[in-house]
Amino acid sequence: MAVTPDVTDAAARLEDLVDTAHRIRNTIESVIEGKSDVVRLTLTVLLAEGHLLIEDVPGVGKTMLAKALARSIDCPVKRVQFTPDLLPSDITGVSAYNQQTREFEFKPGPIFANIVVGDEINRASPKTQSALLECMEEHQVTVDGATYALESPFMVIATQNPIEMEGTYPLPEAQRDRFTAKIAMGYPETAAELEMLDVHGASQPLDKMEPVATTAEVAALIRAVRAVYVSQPVKRYAVDLVAATRHSPELRLGASPRATLHLVRGARAHAALAGRDYVIPDDLQDLAVPVLAHRLLPSLEAQGQRRHAEQIVGELVRRVPVPDAK
Amino acid sequence: MKLPVAAGLATAAVTVTLYPLFEGGSWFWSCVGAVLVTTLAGAAASRLGARPWVAPAVTPVAVLLYLTAVFTPEEAWLRAVPTRDSVVRLAELLGSGFDDIQRFAAPVPDQPGITLLTAAGVALIALLVDVFAVRLRRAALAGLPLLALFTVPAAVMTEPIGWPAFVVAAFGYIGLLVTDGRERLSRWGRAVVVRRSGGSARGAAPDTERLALSGKRIGVTAIALAILVPAVLPALSPDPLFGFGVGNGLGGGGGNIGIPDAIAKLGGQLRQQSNGTVLTYTSSDDVPRYLRIYSLDIFDGTKWTLAPLRGRPEDRVSEGPLPPAPGLRPGVSLKRAEMRVTMSEDIDELNFLPLPYPARQVDADGDWRADRSSLMVFSTEDEAAGLEYRVVTEEPEPTTTELRTAVTLPDSERYLQLPDGLDPRVEALARRVAADAATPYESAVELQEWFTRNGRFTYDLRASGSGAQALSRFLLRDRRGYCEQFAGAMAVMARLLGIPARVSIGYTGGTKIGDAWTVRTHDAHAWPELFFDGIGWLRFEPTPAGAGGQGTAQVPSYSLPVTPTAEPTSGASEGPSSGDEDTGQSAGPARPNPRQLDRDLDGTAIAADPGTPAAVKFGIGAAAVLALLLLPAAARLLVRRRRLRRLTRSAAGGHAAWAELRDILTDLGMAGEPSETPRALGRRIAERYAPGPQAAESLARVVTSEERLRYAPAPSASGPVPADLRRIRRDLASKTSRWRRLGAALVPMSVLLRLRAAGEGVLDVFDRLEGLRPRLWRTGLRRMELRRTGGTSPGHGTATTPERPAGSGQDRTLTGARR
Repeated sequence: MAVTPDVTDAAARLEDLVDTAHRIRNTIESVIEGKSDVVRLTLTVLLAEGHLLIEDVPGVGKTMLAKALARSIDCPVKRVQFTPDLLPSDITGVSAYNQQTREFEFKPGPIFANIVVGDEINRASPKTQSALLECMEEHQVTVDGATYALESPFMVIATQNPIEMEGTYPLPEAQRDRFTAKIAMGYPETAAELEMLDVHGASQPLDKMEPVATTAEVAALIRAVRAVYVSQPVKRYAVDLVAATRHSPELRLGASPRATLHLVRGARAHAALAGRDYVIPDDLQDLAVPVLAHRLLPSLEAQGQRRHAEQIVGELVRRVPVPDAK
Repeated sequence: MKLPVAAGLATAAVTVTLYPLFEGGSWFWSCVGAVLVTTLAGAAASRLGARPWVAPAVTPVAVLLYLTAVFTPEEAWLRAVPTRDSVVRLAELLGSGFDDIQRFAAPVPDQPGITLLTAAGVALIALLVDVFAVRLRRAALAGLPLLALFTVPAAVMTEPIGWPAFVVAAFGYIGLLVTDGRERLSRWGRAVVVRRSGGSARGAAPDTERLALSGKRIGVTAIALAILVPAVLPALSPDPLFGFGVGNGLGGGGGNIGIPDAIAKLGGQLRQQSNGTVLTYTSSDDVPRYLRIYSLDIFDGTKWTLAPLRGRPEDRVSEGPLPPAPGLRPGVSLKRAEMRVTMSEDIDELNFLPLPYPARQVDADGDWRADRSSLMVFSTEDEAAGLEYRVVTEEPEPTTTELRTAVTLPDSERYLQLPDGLDPRVEALARRVAADAATPYESAVELQEWFTRNGRFTYDLRASGSGAQALSRFLLRDRRGYCEQFAGAMAVMARLLGIPARVSIGYTGGTKIGDAWTVRTHDAHAWPELFFDGIGWLRFEPTPAGAGGQGTAQVPSYSLPVTPTAEPTSGASEGPSSGDEDTGQSAGPARPNPRQLDRDLDGTAIAADPGTPAAVKFGIGAAAVLALLLLPAAARLLVRRRRLRRLTRSAAGGHAAWAELRDILTDLGMAGEPSETPRALGRRIAERYAPGPQAAESLARVVTSEERLRYAPAPSASGPVPADLRRIRRDLASKTSRWRRLGAALVPMSVLLRLRAAGEGVLDVFDRLEGLRPRLWRTGLRRMELRRTGGTSPGHGTATTPERPAGSGQDRTLTGARR
């Protein structure tokens, strides 16, 4: 039963985690008003060692969120503005000839950072998009046959405009699958927007942001999240949920086994953020839509009925029974 | 492609229900062959994509070839192709088949004619089913020809159809429907449903599995209900639609009219569905008379039988008047009447003449002789069927004085004999009934009176047996029976009181239709005759008459108790159904027929069993129903108590608290989806029903404990206690309506849902059985065949008609009954 050898130590770490996470959240929310759910999910993905895709129309604060998260942690942050003419080497880095040493030298690209913000990722060509693939999944870059390890923790926060927008290349399924979760910012509520006017009207609040956590702290948090206990029924439930997407007649493409992995990892982080050292099905239910929906392709009938993957996943969650105690 | 096969299977399944109609099984294989031929023809037509009208056109040809090959191969060309001779022979066989069916009652022997007729009929049904189901795509309508086939045994047999046969037939039909539905869906699906991505082989056909499954489940449930509900509720009808156990098919059915057996089995006659005319007669005074066939004078403790008959040549009825009636002395006034009787052509073999007693003279063609002591008229050569004869009767019309002074013969030992081992209580009963009687005649009247009125007997055709045990049961316990029991019992009691008695078997006077009286199968009757010296044998009638009894039974006027005001008159009583009163001999209004009186007073002439009044019966029934209805509530209480006990025993309480909470919510109609987590459930209840702070605390305790128990590495240290659950229940119940609370207590949904789950479990077993694919079967069979190499295959399926077993004719007794 006992997964953690020292219960008090684990409890202390969990307390630390909740505390630190709270600080980061507060900092981000001082910039992004009225979006605590989004912030919470962002943190969850960070602690789950995943990558986040933020999709929404321009101007709702996608980049702001990414930057705010990056700023609140005292770690190297790189930002890449994806444009149609962006090349893969612009992301991973290039080998350049050093005249002095007479050797080829690797010039690391923006991917070599703890947090990489990819802005408007779907404006780049598929070739460039796929350059991100290896980095995101394997935390390493291979250039000219040499493999370079990336920083740890490593998180890609990509923003994109809805795919219906002008001049966008939709992300390939394989790459969508690599993002742990996709969230939409949504328009702020009236009160939040009013407040935003006050705060943002005069100055740039991002400039005032001070980091509230270090890389080492975040790495410790991630270790604590890994220790969160997942019981057999919960694992079973995760598998059931994912399997349901594969059998649903409304879906052309179900979720991959990687999705199961991401779901359970995310659930661990979700539980840890709630100060719990074990995962409950509620964690999975909360995460099912952001973690699963962007990987699925609705069938033509479902599309004809204007049903989105989010709706379909929500219904599946309501339908799949929670495993009993047996 | 599967549909023609399913249609054939359905027909074959319904054919199984014909089984009780036949002796032997070769007819069945002929029918299976016919179905097979039809199915093959249909399947071939479907496979070749022929137009819908081709199959109905081709199939009859195939069936003709088949019938020729099986029934008239000698006359046919190449043993199968019909020639003129073979067709003529087939027609002959068909004709003889029709004749045989007219002649024999079910179960009919395996004659080639009958087998041919059956095979042709089944082939016709199979063709119709094929046309409806496959060609017209109206599988439900195919039920009509199947039903027509199914009604044959249902109509002919007196016994209900065995439920296994019904199940087989019903499954055949359901299989047809399911196959049709599946095929329809798959066709429809191919046209409309777009393939899933990838174009894998799996995606080509839509998934009809689930629909077929639900269809099967509905079918299985419907069949189970059709069988179980009538069986569980016997009150719905006296005969449930299906008897348990396949009927053995006794009782004359078909075109034959049964004749009562001397070794009485009158119940069969009276219970028969068809009510055929046995004979008609006219009488000179237009008064109905009982017609006696047999007189049974020996009671051996198990049944009433008749002593060996003696028909001497000089007692031929053609020689002159019959021997004088025993015991009749000159001086007693006689009533002379002449009757002309016409026997039906269709009756079973009968070597006795139905006659009024005492017959003086009989004019009938043939060698008919009278037995001296009983005046039965019989023949060893001739049969009564179709006979027309004239009979003159001279009924004694004793005055009351004559009856009162009549004594019993001292030397009539034969009519007083009773077996040993008769229940002594019967004699005590007889003495008690006749306690007030001074003379034998008065004893007899008291007995009849007791049977028909004071004893509170119930006329019930379901009773059986006439032996000593059945007698005790009839007299002392249930007091239910029909004429057989009444007559036997009265005769025994009369003998116990020292009055010579015997039992007569025959018919009541029947019903007047037009100018003649018609006697039908349902008029078969048994009655006692008691002997009084100087007067002879007199008929008594202990069986109730009218709607609630033996329809046309009537009580002789001389056997009615005498009221002081009435003048003793004589004469036969009026016919209950003749309507017009015979003024000459009518019993005066002061002395009405008691049965008539009862019938006038209320429709049900016979009072219910005095043992338990109707109200009490209703009470018992209602209590039983109530107890049945309260079973779920009791089960709920038990479950709750067990869970709470478990909760107190172990610290964390296991999952008992959670299970109980779920059931509480289910009972109160607050249950959620199966996808609801414990935490979500707690939140929902807290938000929607706003329990009091204490109850909310208890709820949180139960929820947290369950959550930790399920998902955490270590369960929480302290779990909920029984008081928590009680508090939750009370608090939540107070938030609901009174009706809801009452329902939760009396009809707890949690128990009902569990019952349903159990039922679905049973259905799942059926599904799994169905999942054993035929392929598995086939490989198993092939393996068996291989193991049996060299052995000859059993000779099933041959269409030869075996000789009728010699023993089957043995029960043809002198009495002429064929069972």
